[in-house]
Amino acid sequence: MSRLYAVIGSVCDVSRRAVWRGSPSIPPLLALLPAGLTRVFAAGKKDLIDFPVLNEDELEEQFVRGSGPGGQATNKTSNCVVLKHIPTGIVVKCHQTRSVDINRKRARGIMREKLDVAYKGELSEVLVKKKESVLRKQEKKKKAHENLERKRLFKEALVADSKHGNDSV
Amino acid sequence: MWRRSFSAGYRCLGRRRIGPKGTWASRAARACSVPASPAGGISALQALDVWEELFEERGVSEPKHSADHIVAHLLGAKTRESLGRRNLTEILSRERTEQLWELCTRRLSRMPVQYVIEQWDFRDLTLKMRPPVFIPRPETEELVELVLMDLEKTCGQAEEGADAPLTCLEVGCGSGAISLSLLSSLPQLKAIALDRSQDAVDLTRENASSLGLQDRLQIYHIDVMKDPEAVLRLCSPVSALVSNPPYLFSEDMLSLEPEILRFEDPSALDGGQDGLDVIRQILTMAPKVLSDHGRAYLEVDPRHPRLIRRWVEANVEELRYVETRHDITGRPRFCILQKRDIRKGP
Repeated sequence: MSRLYAVIGSVCDVSRRAVWRGSPSIPPLLALLPAGLTRVFAAGKKDLIDFPVLNEDELEEQFVRGSGPGGQATNKTSNCVVLKHIPTGIVVKCHQTRSVDINRKRARGIMREKLDVAYKGELSEVLVKKKESVLRKQEKKKKAHENLERKRLFKEALVADSKHGNDSV
Repeated sequence: MWRRSFSAGYRCLGRRRIGPKGTWASRAARACSVPASPAGGISALQALDVWEELFEERGVSEPKHSADHIVAHLLGAKTRESLGRRNLTEILSRERTEQLWELCTRRLSRMPVQYVIEQWDFRDLTLKMRPPVFIPRPETEELVELVLMDLEKTCGQAEEGADAPLTCLEVGCGSGAISLSLLSSLPQLKAIALDRSQDAVDLTRENASSLGLQDRLQIYHIDVMKDPEAVLRLCSPVSALVSNPPYLFSEDMLSLEPEILRFEDPSALDGGQDGLDVIRQILTMAPKVLSDHGRAYLEVDPRHPRLIRRWVEANVEELRYVETRHDITGRPRFCILQKRDIRKGP
């Protein structure tokens, strides 16, 4: 079951005439890999992560630049990118940086994470990592608790010994 | 509470010089009255509200984005999104508040945000900005991607062990965005950048130094329209020629928004009657500076690609029109041409 992430907010000035178009091909590592689940290096992450590869043909990109001619004739600072994955209807909005190019790349990275969750459900990387982190925390708590118990029992043993008149260490 | 204190504190700015090239004193006198900075403390969030509203009132384009960028910059961030809740709700110091008022007042005069905060980002670089040097546009980031795609392939195909010098030439470098971006992404690249504006040459040099790329970039103050031979004397054949040349039609100059008309160098924009004056000059020069199979990459007006193709086919035998690429808004924006050896044919 795919989830629709409705993220178009008022930050993107959607009252302007927006252009939806098939995504122009961008030359990142993503576009050159074969289709299907492939191991790729997600930028900035140490682990190898199995995120789905994006097919640019399935994406629609909206960049709000107004109805003007663009290019040298316009100087706008809005650089919000909205990316829609047509098959699932998942929408990602990114305005994290002041560079349109970087926002486009990040939007694709986020899209891949969302697709991973949508496709793999329980088995998705994001959820698996979350579970692992929760398990680690539980282990830690358990160990800490056991340590405290050991200390408590040791102390009780000491007290009991001294009551019986034994020399304490 | 602070809103009421504003209406009581309106005062006229009067004549005032803003920025190194500021000449808008008379305009300032006309569009005076700026709210006084509040006597009591104000948070960034409140300041954002005030200035967004004021920008909107005064017809300043992108009122919200303008306020967001200026406030974020003042607080040491790039975007409003990256400001934490604490930053936004903390009361600003007196000094900070005055700085904020100063910057936002500049924006009231329609000074582009990039000049107000004196910097902007281009791909993964942060560059200094200064009027009247042309501010890089987002479309041009895609131009860099196109060049990189090809140059990376060239590097990949180079023979192992061969230290093939990879050089590119940029005509009309402005702030240095294109050249510096290419250099930053390709450690083995060397670049030559030209501009007819001394201001642009100076700014490119500053940006190159800030980014530690000055050793791989040569910058020259040359006007290709007046002195094309100077370019030929400069460099041995280059693998790529890149340019975002002035490409606006002269008649369109007058309808430009105030941000551009009042603050950016018109000679960085005006391409003549059909917008192709500088482009034609560059393409005439291209075969003489490019190595065999070297490519020229241009950003142009959407009306240009078919005109350029026709003109090149009729006038520059040594150049083959490879393809037109579109920008993110779907407009034909980039022309790629390749030098061919006319003796060997296409």
